[in-house]
Amino acid sequence: MSNKFLFTIPKGDKSIDLPIEIKWDFYGRDDSIELYEEEVLVDIIGVAKDFEILRFSHSPYISNQKTEIKYDFYFYDSSTPVSASTVSTDWVNSYLFPNANPSGFSSTQIYYYEKPFTKSFFKLDFYDTKDTQSQTNYFTIIIPVQQGATESASISPLRPNVNIRKPSYTLDFVGDKEGFFIYWLKNEAFLNIDTFYMSAKFFDGRLGVFVKMMNEPQSVLSDKFIFESSRYFYNKVVLDYTTKTYQVFDYLDNRIGAGTPIKWYEYINP
Amino acid sequence: MGNRQDIRVILGSLRYKSAPNTTLLFNVPLIQTEKENVEFDRSIDVDLEQVFDDERQNSDIIRPTCKFSLLFQNVYSGFTNYPPFENNLYYLNSASAAALQCLSGATTISWTGVPQYNEFDFIRTDYNVSGYTQPPNEHLTFIPKSASSYNWNFFVSYGYENDYTKPMRATDKKTNIILNWIVGDGIPFIIENTVYNGRNTVSFRCPVKHGMSVGEFVKLSFSYNGTDLFQIDSLGVSTFGSEEYVFNIIDVGYLGGTFDDGVTGTAKRVILQDNELDTISTYYVRRNKILTESENAVLVKAGFEQNIFGEKKKYESSGFTPDKVARVSVKEGSQSYTLSFNKDIRVNPIRDNQKRPITELFFTVIYKGYFGWMFGIPNGSGSYYGLKQGWEFNLPLNSFGAPDYWWSNSNSNSDTDFPMGSYTTPISSGYGPASGPITFTYVESIKEGDIVDGDCCEWNDYDQKERVISNIFHKLTFNPFSFRIGVNTANQLGYYYQPHHVLTTRVYSDYIEDGDIRSVVGIPDYSHFSTTKNLFIWRDLYPYGFVDSGGIGVTYPFLNGVHYPFKNIIFRIIPEGTNYNEQTIIAEPTIDPCE
Repeated sequence: MSNKFLFTIPKGDKSIDLPIEIKWDFYGRDDSIELYEEEVLVDIIGVAKDFEILRFSHSPYISNQKTEIKYDFYFYDSSTPVSASTVSTDWVNSYLFPNANPSGFSSTQIYYYEKPFTKSFFKLDFYDTKDTQSQTNYFTIIIPVQQGATESASISPLRPNVNIRKPSYTLDFVGDKEGFFIYWLKNEAFLNIDTFYMSAKFFDGRLGVFVKMMNEPQSVLSDKFIFESSRYFYNKVVLDYTTKTYQVFDYLDNRIGAGTPIKWYEYINP
Repeated sequence: MGNRQDIRVILGSLRYKSAPNTTLLFNVPLIQTEKENVEFDRSIDVDLEQVFDDERQNSDIIRPTCKFSLLFQNVYSGFTNYPPFENNLYYLNSASAAALQCLSGATTISWTGVPQYNEFDFIRTDYNVSGYTQPPNEHLTFIPKSASSYNWNFFVSYGYENDYTKPMRATDKKTNIILNWIVGDGIPFIIENTVYNGRNTVSFRCPVKHGMSVGEFVKLSFSYNGTDLFQIDSLGVSTFGSEEYVFNIIDVGYLGGTFDDGVTGTAKRVILQDNELDTISTYYVRRNKILTESENAVLVKAGFEQNIFGEKKKYESSGFTPDKVARVSVKEGSQSYTLSFNKDIRVNPIRDNQKRPITELFFTVIYKGYFGWMFGIPNGSGSYYGLKQGWEFNLPLNSFGAPDYWWSNSNSNSDTDFPMGSYTTPISSGYGPASGPITFTYVESIKEGDIVDGDCCEWNDYDQKERVISNIFHKLTFNPFSFRIGVNTANQLGYYYQPHHVLTTRVYSDYIEDGDIRSVVGIPDYSHFSTTKNLFIWRDLYPYGFVDSGGIGVTYPFLNGVHYPFKNIIFRIIPEGTNYNEQTIIAEPTIDPCE
């Protein structure tokens, strides 16, 4: 046995650390870890979320007697470009534009519900904000062209005028109902949004294009093509969870659609 | 092992009926205040099916939905001179009335017809009828949001309490003897002595299903030689289906008139003679508590579904209408409807009429009749006779082909006591009593928390089971001042409907558990202490999604963390005297001992 160890007489006190293996934790730490474990599991698996929807109807007005909401859509005769001399009456509440380029629907197409007409529809998109850079389209309402009021038109010189559809809608609990109700999440905790911004488009089944709509005709704008989009392309819609109703407001927060129609005008690109 | 006093070990098969015996491992923890700290990685097995089931069992939110197939036969024709009603009938004598009106020039010709289907439909669609729902000279101005609540209101309710004091009345079909009793007295009967299977027998004929079995006992409302408890020897007489309505005891030679033919009384079912108190049935009218407001109901048309009978309508030419306006009138419709509610039902805090966790909700439908075609007869105390109520045994016509006395205005026992509303219209002036206006009446909407009468039921503590003896029905009759169908206004013909339609949300086991509180853990708080067994007895509440080998159980969608039970309901508006028992059950062939 070789002696490799050299012990010297210490000048001061020395101590030796003896490691003792401890598997036992202070009371509660592991419980906390288990709780955390459950949280991780919830994150991974997910918990049941309530995606059920509620039906919101248009808020009553005139002593709670009336609930109908009206949408009038106005189209522009594009044979004449929008200019300083354009007036608001150049936008017409009709699908008929025989002189436009391209022309509107023919009265025959409308009367006989031909496919280019019946495949067309109005689309109301509901966003969380008016900012086009950050907005999310949460839901959409489609208004089919088979609904709506009628106007008199000729489909043949050999027979009397007939009534054909026009883009003027009165939606309510009875009668034309498609597009009257808004269906949105029942559980506010999941996604708490009760204010939406509504824009309107028309899908032209003849041409396969969307036509954007504004809440005022371009004729009223000083600059016909440079304007604040958040002001002219959106109306505000507020849901009331207590009464399960909604109201529509203009940019000044005045209620619209309560008795008078909400008007949408075709936007014409320069 | 600080919790060792709380641990009980029970055999697996005792947990529920089809549960197997299993090897149980019982970890005995050493008492400690420290816990092993698992170092490094942890792993855990995740069973998604188990997670789903855990969520399902923990949820107590119910979103009840149903689909109504509305069956209605529009049979009662009448007449009215009130223009908005007269101009909107489905005419039955239009040709003769038009000719008479043309020849005489009179304006008071009776145009006979039936009210159009819109007066009974779940959702009215006559929102734009000039002279009726729109000016000029309209009956009232239509409010579109009320389209689904003008005629009927829809609620969710549950069995809340029992009423043992409700007076009842039935008529024995064979003898026309009137049976009057208090519901808590039991099942009414009339005695008829017969010979059955060669033995002298005392038969007790009941107007309702007695729910008794051979070998059980019956406690009568009268006694013979000091005893009122008799064993049931057999069921039925020689007629088909009579087993459910007739029970028999052996006639051992009873003296006197106690068991003479025609004697009436009431009987209660007793399961065991030894312990009458513990095994006797109680009888009551279940009362339903309303859980929703009428505004919570969302009623919509059910897609393209229609009943098989189709729509019955006709074109009324302008020359054949009193106002010379052509239109299409509808007698009967066929549209189906779906009903949901924008209010969730939390069931855990609710106990039923037996103080047990609820297993049944009810779709409660109440006629409102805001347009004023119904009711309208003053009751002498400042209000009007409104909706009447009775039970299935009250529905048949009497021997004269008229409604039973039960339904007459003078019988206050059949009043629902729902509050009545009324109004008059400017145009009705001069068409009512004493040339005054017509008073149009309707049933005001009941509210959340209101309690309404329901089915007639039996409960037996020893059996731990509730049996519906007879379903409740409501009856509506026409307002003779606005539409007259006959001369007898004190007890008119009318329409019946069943207001409560059960929706089973969970079920109790078909077996009965028992246990001693000292040796069995988990005895539910709704258990009953049976003095017969000297144990607590109860029926297990099956978990959601569990269906036992006998097919008992419920399974329906669970998503969004919510239960979605669903029910298809055939809602009948039944004319008086109609055979309303639509289900004919073909009995199994009887097999005698020789076979």
